[in-house]
Amino acid sequence: MQTGMKKEALVSDTTQIEARSVSKTFGKFHALRDVSLKIAEGEFLSLLGPSGSGKTTFLTLLGGYEPATRGQLFLEGQDMTNWPAKQRGFGMVFQGYALFPHLTVAENIAFPLKVQKRGKAAIADRVAQMVEMVGLSGHETKKPGALSGGQQQRVALARALAYEPKVLLLDEPFSALDKNLRGQMQEELRRLHRDLGTTFVFVTHDQEEALALSSRIAIFNHGELQQVGTPDTVYERPANRFTAEFLGDINILSVDDSARGIAGTALELPANVRSFDHVAIRPEHMRLADAGDAIQLPATVRDRVYLGSKSRLLLETRAGEDLMLYLDNGGALQAPEPGADIRVTWETGDSFAL
Amino acid sequence: MRALLCLICPLLLFLGCSYLLPFLGIMQLSFTDPVPGIDQYRHVLSDPLTQSVIWRTIRLCVIVTVVSVSCAYVITLLWVRGSPMVRLLTELCIMIPFWISVLSRAFGWLSMLSNRGLLNKWLQNLGLIDSAIQMTRNEFAVVVGMSHYLIPFAVFPLATAMRNVDERVLTAADGMGASRLRVFWQVFLPMTASGIMGATLLVFVFSIGFYVTPALLGGGQSVLIAELIYLWIFQIPQWGVAAAMSVVLMIAVGGILYLLMRRYGEMAK
Amino acid sequence: MNRLRPGLFAKLLTCVVALFLLMPLIAVVPVSFTSRRYLSLPNGDWSWRHYISLFEDPDWGTSLLTSIQVGVLASLLAVLLASAFCIGLWMLRPRFAGLMTGFVLLPMVAPPVVSSLTLYFFLNKLAQWNNLVAYDKLGGVVLAHMVMIVPYAVVVVMVSLSQLDRRMDLAAQSMGASVPTRVFQVILPNIRFGLIGAFFLCFLLSWDEIGVTLFVTSVETITLPRRMWMGLRDNVDPSIAALSVVLICVVTLAIVARAALQFRKARQTG
Ligand SMILES: Nc1ncnc2c1ncn2[C@@H]1O[C@H](COP(=O)(O)OP(=O)(O)O)[C@@H](O)[C@H]1O
Ligand SMILES: [Mg+2]
Repeated sequence: MQTGMKKEALVSDTTQIEARSVSKTFGKFHALRDVSLKIAEGEFLSLLGPSGSGKTTFLTLLGGYEPATRGQLFLEGQDMTNWPAKQRGFGMVFQGYALFPHLTVAENIAFPLKVQKRGKAAIADRVAQMVEMVGLSGHETKKPGALSGGQQQRVALARALAYEPKVLLLDEPFSALDKNLRGQMQEELRRLHRDLGTTFVFVTHDQEEALALSSRIAIFNHGELQQVGTPDTVYERPANRFTAEFLGDINILSVDDSARGIAGTALELPANVRSFDHVAIRPEHMRLADAGDAIQLPATVRDRVYLGSKSRLLLETRAGEDLMLYLDNGGALQAPEPGADIRVTWETGDSFAL
Repeated sequence: MRALLCLICPLLLFLGCSYLLPFLGIMQLSFTDPVPGIDQYRHVLSDPLTQSVIWRTIRLCVIVTVVSVSCAYVITLLWVRGSPMVRLLTELCIMIPFWISVLSRAFGWLSMLSNRGLLNKWLQNLGLIDSAIQMTRNEFAVVVGMSHYLIPFAVFPLATAMRNVDERVLTAADGMGASRLRVFWQVFLPMTASGIMGATLLVFVFSIGFYVTPALLGGGQSVLIAELIYLWIFQIPQWGVAAAMSVVLMIAVGGILYLLMRRYGEMAK
Repeated sequence: MNRLRPGLFAKLLTCVVALFLLMPLIAVVPVSFTSRRYLSLPNGDWSWRHYISLFEDPDWGTSLLTSIQVGVLASLLAVLLASAFCIGLWMLRPRFAGLMTGFVLLPMVAPPVVSSLTLYFFLNKLAQWNNLVAYDKLGGVVLAHMVMIVPYAVVVVMVSLSQLDRRMDLAAQSMGASVPTRVFQVILPNIRFGLIGAFFLCFLLSWDEIGVTLFVTSVETITLPRRMWMGLRDNVDPSIAALSVVLICVVTLAIVARAALQFRKARQTG
């Protein structure tokens, strides 16, 4: 929570883009419902959600490629709801790159500059600079078809950044790349963001990617905005069950309301919560209980999965709920075998109500 | 936005002026020439001569449709499922006639079937007949020529349907010990029924407004609707009746096409 | 897995159908070599006279030229109108796109005789105003052919547009490209093969067009098929056999070459 606040302070607090109750329908289908969101200047905002949750739709509304059905959009305080894409002047990296197949790398990057009718020399300079920046020197005269996925991705980035847009929109730019390349491109994207100070709005369905890259994450499901916050806020303090489960493994326990505890174990409530049905703890915050721990939840080991440095224990509580936790394999402690009865514990501060 | 409308509109305007408006003119004509009212339609639907032409057209078109679709089914079967060499040869047999002018093809049939044509000569040389038998200027020639023209058109929907048949279903049926004939009649044929339906409607629609081949091979002896319309315009001018016949034809074809679309729409769902 | 191949019976039937399909094409060959002036088979007296008359008779040359003129003009205009229409629809995606497309395809599905009558009626009306685009004039034939072939151009261009990545156009749009820039520098270069294909298809259709041409021409503007028709209808002229043999050879060569190329390619790629 605290680190989250620190990170938030890093982002400048001038709102650059604001969406107010934006909705989008296709016929009777609601692709976006009442989304309100502020994007700060220079931040790296990720839009995260499962496939079909409306991320691309929201991005195309921001970019001005489709009109919103309802709601308003503001750019630096001005109402841009009815501005065409041209007037907004955002850069966009499309899913699948959308490079011009009939133009070379250099011509692709030069395209927006030519549209802006810049001078020949200025264009050549800028193209050379961009090619250098994304590390494509030597490939200038190739057509996109002759490039690898990663290289095409770089061309798309260079083309979108060539005319120095205030905002760069990226739609799942790395989804077509293999895992190694993806890591490398993520690094480069972070570097670019640091160096340029441009606002990045980045769509992804990959939780780890969003957590690793973003200054803030906006989580979408079924066209609704679930939560916005820094990576550790959304991970450690998810606002609802969907966010909690979507961001990673989670143990969810039903609360016995009358006893204010779980299976007879008394439970301290997080201060701001009065009444709740479930309490959730990330597996990495759960451990085997020592004699002195306040919380002692009995459970039976159902399975143990060996993962190298760690083992994953799959447990079942008396109430029949599944739990998961990790054990370090290097420790002196002998890992319990399947069938063993054990007790688990966690710090109250690491748990949260759902 | 305005620029885009400038792209879309020219073609709409062009066809609106040179196709839709004149067609409306034809419709108007059908109600006014020579007498205002529905007399022209009454003529089309009750005149015995016209009636006989309509019935002949329907009869011949049904025969042509059956012949074309059956022939097309056989050759498509080999085109889609034969070995690569067989596929190549059948493709040539389908594509070459398809791309050759309808006139050359009709002329080919004249050379084949006329009294001094190839077929009569062969039959005479074999001693099967003494004098040439009349094989042109009759319905037989019309059916032959029209079927020949329409077979390639029937091939395409059939080929699509046959390509969509799941190979595993056939292998499964074969594996269960069904005979080849049974696999064909009870599995393959029903699975390509949609293609047969499409080909049938397509060929029927094409054949019903057909003019060139029947006029050449029928030689004025077995007039079909399209030729009748031609005669009503250029030989015995009766514009109003020709217009009324055209409107009726258009409605009939529109109805068949509507059926076709609805069927395909249902299958798409 | 071994595909179930068609059996012997199916192969025999196919041979019959194939024979039926090829028979008339073969039957023209001997007729074209007859030495007589009516449809007959040469009786030992093979002659090239009908081939020679194709070259010597100036009428055939004039018709050839007319056909080429009409074909090129009508195809160019049809492809121009069709591509503007399709690109506009593709970019704008207006509400009644389906209806508009249906309307534009009408001449393709309407019975040819109805289209013929409609165009005859229209060109006769136009003849009262001008004598360029009118009945039995070159302009009139071009217009009639355009109406008949434009739906095919629309279909071909639409198919090639449907294979185009819409995001590419969005990208151009986001960079501030104007409509002309998007059309000429982004979309057209990427559908150029579709346009060339549409032009060839249109030219072939116009080259072969007879149904409508019969209605809208009489003595002044005579395309090649129209002249063939005249030779077939009145007294069957063996010159048409010679012409047919030439056309059949051209088509056969083109198709065999294409098939052979494809066959080789398929072999190579496995
Ligand atoms: N042009 C469109 N017409 C109809 N439905 C659409 C259109 N674009 C998107 N949708 C629907 O809207 C929903 C959200 O789509 P999208 O924003 O692309 O999701 P995401 O990018 O999160 O995977 C999907 O269910 C999709 O089918
Ligand atoms: Mg998406």
